[in-house]
Amino acid sequence: MRDTFVDTLLAEAQKDPSVVLITGDLGFGVLEKFEKALPKQYINAGVAEQAMLGLAAGMASTGKRVFVYSIGNFPTVRALEQIRNDVCYMNNPVVIVSVGAGYSYGSQGYTHHALEDIAVMRALPGMDVLTPADPYETVALTKYLVSTKRPSYLRLGRSGEKQLNSSAPTLKAGELNALLKGNDGSILFTGAIGTLALQAQETLKSNGKNVGVYSVPFLSSLKPESIKEVAAIGPIVTIEEHSTRGGLGSALLELASISGINADIRIMGVSQHNLAEIGDQTFLRTSNGLTVEKIVEKFNF
Amino acid sequence: MEKQERIAKDAADLAFQARQEILKMTSTAKASHVGSALSVIDILAVLYSGIADVNPQNLNESNRDIVILSKGHAASAIYSVLALKGFFSLDWLAQYCGNGAPLGGHVTSKGVPGVELSTGSLGHGLPYGLGIAFSRKRSSVPGRVFVVMSDGECDEGTTWESALLAHHHELNNLTVIVDRNGIQSLKETEETLKLEPFAEKWRAFGWDVHKIDGHNYQELTNRLTQQSRPTVVIAETTKGKGVSFMENSVLWHYRPPNEDELAKALSEVVDQ
Repeated sequence: MRDTFVDTLLAEAQKDPSVVLITGDLGFGVLEKFEKALPKQYINAGVAEQAMLGLAAGMASTGKRVFVYSIGNFPTVRALEQIRNDVCYMNNPVVIVSVGAGYSYGSQGYTHHALEDIAVMRALPGMDVLTPADPYETVALTKYLVSTKRPSYLRLGRSGEKQLNSSAPTLKAGELNALLKGNDGSILFTGAIGTLALQAQETLKSNGKNVGVYSVPFLSSLKPESIKEVAAIGPIVTIEEHSTRGGLGSALLELASISGINADIRIMGVSQHNLAEIGDQTFLRTSNGLTVEKIVEKFNF
Repeated sequence: MEKQERIAKDAADLAFQARQEILKMTSTAKASHVGSALSVIDILAVLYSGIADVNPQNLNESNRDIVILSKGHAASAIYSVLALKGFFSLDWLAQYCGNGAPLGGHVTSKGVPGVELSTGSLGHGLPYGLGIAFSRKRSSVPGRVFVVMSDGECDEGTTWESALLAHHHELNNLTVIVDRNGIQSLKETEETLKLEPFAEKWRAFGWDVHKIDGHNYQELTNRLTQQSRPTVVIAETTKGKGVSFMENSVLWHYRPPNEDELAKALSEVVDQ
């Protein structure tokens, strides 16, 4: 996803000189092509995330379209007040891009796990939170972000994510992206963990249950109508590589409650991460119950 | 030289009026931070009397100068200066901190012409100003960026992150003015978290450093007229300046003047 993001942004930045990419000294082997092609639209701010976000907001206030790039918690939680005050309060169109969604940096340890970022970013006023499922969605959302002018957060996986869409989808702000439609219920997911959702869909199908699978790339602008539609089909199981507190599942429950939608929502995510546990992404997903089997089980009651 | 003398004289007049507004605002609103506002007011008065090229008519121009008051708790100071310079109505000052009023206790840019950045949490103004200065330098847009900070604010890590960045990128369009009154929230800065040797710190970070009297209009004017490198002006000031019983006292970081105190304070300001 990160290479797809950089390639797409580079192409857009070549057309639009107001696009600027700032890195917090990360992106080895990923950002060099951008720096080489457009040195005047590239800045390495060093290991100074808080000043970097203030700098980004100040630049955005002069009309630049600023993208800030770093790993998971560094451009988000570390610089949270700069995002809250200098980006959101001031309504500066800074795009914060984090790589390493969920357990992407698994064995690197908890400092590198992005498990609360959606919750935190979603709570900020005016923040557009975007979570692509695959490289196709990454391209679409990156282009969308160059065109929109508002504080935004783009949550990327790392590298090697599979295409989950069969072809480049047309993403509409606030709407779900249906990968498969079903009539016995729906799985809603956000990010690359959608691979598990698709596998669960196959297992359920062989058991005689036909469920739909939807990517949710727009987490903060979800429209009630999109939820209403899937709620009418049957149970909704949500899965995300993120804390169950404040992420996709929470967003859906809040929306259903606030909009008075009668929905059977069953959420899955990281409910209590074991801080002492070491392991890679697959291992940590499994130990936190993010498995195909558990998704299937959620439809069995 | 004639121009600099005129700026210093205008600044003295502006500060004279602004001090009275600050006292009335904080008394009426029962607001805090009067000492901080009286400390920084002479600096702001000089900036808005001809040092910074910003006025109600050129606010939409992209190459005008920028002034950021990073010590957002001195809101009454910037608000009184902006109102006196015609950025918005003087009537707004009377409603300071009122319910539904335009001006609150910490600086907001929302609906307030002339305010560049909403502040109130310390350590935000310099990175933001740095961003504007950087963007302008990259795009060859002229105009200077002035960031007015408190000394207590220099406890913040972002101050020194920004100091590194401004030097690295040679931002000669960026000026920091530190309101060095030596007192922060609870006690003196040196008792709380030592800043000294303060000038040497900035110098070691690669900045051009000048220590001056922060209540001397002519000195401020001369020093701020031009620069060739990222520059910090350490303006040595007195918290509560101009009102004898408020000077150098932590109490007036919090306490609003009551009616009697207001009358006494105003008479002291007028007599000077």
